[in-house]
Amino acid sequence: MDVVVQIVASGLTLGAMYAVSTVGLSLVYGSLNMLNMAHGAILTIGGYAAYAVSQQLGLPAAFGFLAAIVVGAFIGLLIFAATARPLLKSKNFETNVFIATIGVGAVLENVVLKLFGPYAKPQPLNIPGGVRIGAVLIPYQNIAIFGVAIAMMAIVAFRLQRSRAGRAIRATAQNREAAELMGVHVHGVYAQVLALSGALAAVSGVMISSLATLSPNMGGDPMLKAFIICVVAGLGNTYGAVAAAIVIGLLEAATQYLLGVRFGFALLLLLVIAVLIWRPAGFFGKARIVRL
Amino acid sequence: MSEARRDLFVGLILLACAAVAPLAFTDRYIVTQLTLFFIWAAVVTQWNLVLGIGGIFSLAQMALFACGAYGTAMLGYYLGWPLWLAMPASGLLAVVVSMLIGLACLRLRGPYVALLTLAIAQVIYLMIINDTECFTTDAGGCMPLFGGVRGIGRFGDLGFREMFGARFVIANYALAPALLVFAFTFSVIVIRGPLGLAFRALRDNPGYAMSRGVSRFRYQLWVFASSAFFTGLAGAVYAAQFKVVGPTIFSFTLLLFLLSMIVVGGMGSVWGPLVGAALLMLADEGFKEFQDWRALGMGLVLPLFVVLLPGGLVGLFKRKRTQKAPMTGGDRPIADRGRQENWRRPAEATRPRAQP
Repeated sequence: MDVVVQIVASGLTLGAMYAVSTVGLSLVYGSLNMLNMAHGAILTIGGYAAYAVSQQLGLPAAFGFLAAIVVGAFIGLLIFAATARPLLKSKNFETNVFIATIGVGAVLENVVLKLFGPYAKPQPLNIPGGVRIGAVLIPYQNIAIFGVAIAMMAIVAFRLQRSRAGRAIRATAQNREAAELMGVHVHGVYAQVLALSGALAAVSGVMISSLATLSPNMGGDPMLKAFIICVVAGLGNTYGAVAAAIVIGLLEAATQYLLGVRFGFALLLLLVIAVLIWRPAGFFGKARIVRL
Repeated sequence: MSEARRDLFVGLILLACAAVAPLAFTDRYIVTQLTLFFIWAAVVTQWNLVLGIGGIFSLAQMALFACGAYGTAMLGYYLGWPLWLAMPASGLLAVVVSMLIGLACLRLRGPYVALLTLAIAQVIYLMIINDTECFTTDAGGCMPLFGGVRGIGRFGDLGFREMFGARFVIANYALAPALLVFAFTFSVIVIRGPLGLAFRALRDNPGYAMSRGVSRFRYQLWVFASSAFFTGLAGAVYAAQFKVVGPTIFSFTLLLFLLSMIVVGGMGSVWGPLVGAALLMLADEGFKEFQDWRALGMGLVLPLFVVLLPGGLVGLFKRKRTQKAPMTGGDRPIADRGRQENWRRPAEATRPRAQP
């Protein structure tokens, strides 16, 4: 029983963190067909922004959190302006933007390395203590992460469903040209989506670094996992991605507990490949008919 | 001069340069860098086939390279195979692995392939470095099955010292250019031959090509598996040359370095990867004084070239040439052959399609 509680608790925390970073990726792919390989770098920068504001400047933790959101959104805009915008008209947009963002990610990661040095640092946004369920101690930190993640996702879902900007985003994702003809300023929508995705990535960076530590290359692993979650859910399917993130978080916690940390990722990947052989467009993805 | 004759001509000149290079530069460091250049160039010509010709966005190229390198090292270390046998064997091992990856990934759409291959490479890397159980113990102490973080060394050498005596250095040097000659010849055959034609048909008019029985999956698997052989062989040569194989060959910086070579030179072209490899090796040398800025500069290269010069340096040259003369032979879209006028204007053909 205690084992189950432990696995569920850490699985939900993992899943919530993954969900926050995955939603951004999924939104970007859904509306622009862009795989943002610099996502991991935004994650890292978010974590460091919170660190810089709350540790180095000595401001309260809430400011650190806000700083991460602002910086993340700004980096998202920067990536749009530097890579996606000039490439939109190019022939192989998907491939080109993928390659370009790999480079941008490397540059951003190196900037962090230059500014903060290569050594791991603790993330100061930390809540001590915890609540006891049976024999298991669940730290408040995990509960806070879960709560913040749910809140972030609720805000995003609400904005997507109810606000004018959200409708524009969904319209663009469904059919870029039709949206453009209906008077949606598509470039503006793209910029918004990347800013939103950047902000979400930064938040998830703060969360991830508060459980582990800050280091310039901390973004790589979560990004890869977020991508895998996107692939499992079907690229561009945002709500499916959230569900898949939670499931994969739970699965990862379970495999790590039962088989050891080493095989967690490998097993996850095998599972993903199996899912993709069964459903090539992802679990929730619809096979799309490509007109030649 | 036809394209094939020109390729042969330029290739022979370059080969001659490569052959006399060690006479001109006796410095060991330069010879080592030259050897590295030949190995990376061989890998990059094969990766270019996969990326630029086959249209498979695979990031597992270094994993296949590692198959060759680790295969050679492990066959030599554990089974005591002579390297001459272990090298082609591990090339074949890379083919088998690439078939497995291909069967799992190639039925999926482009972006899925990129992500899955990257994830596969990363998982292999993590499995190797997180392995701390001792498989055997040797003089150096505990030895995990794949060598762990430390890597594998002491797996024998090619025996050039016995064969050639004091001149073994030259034989040692000749191995890498020989590899590049084979790999490059293969890439030219693929690009200019029937396989390249099939891919060009699939690119220019997929509907027509597929209805004529050109199966994208089958040809992609072909090009993926056959280029894996030379990639694996390049890994084997790397192992034989440097006598130690470690997990550093999985590093993302190296992947970025090699990808930049292709992008700078021009993806999908015959000479692009070679030009890119030469330029980036030189640039890397130039930046050696500023070690810290190296990775940053390498990162900047990718977006700059993709945005400003999408055809790479070779593409720049080609564009200039085609402005003078109309497109001929291989460069011309197949769908347009034999037509008097291009019914599909280029601007229209390159317009991005509506994304559902």
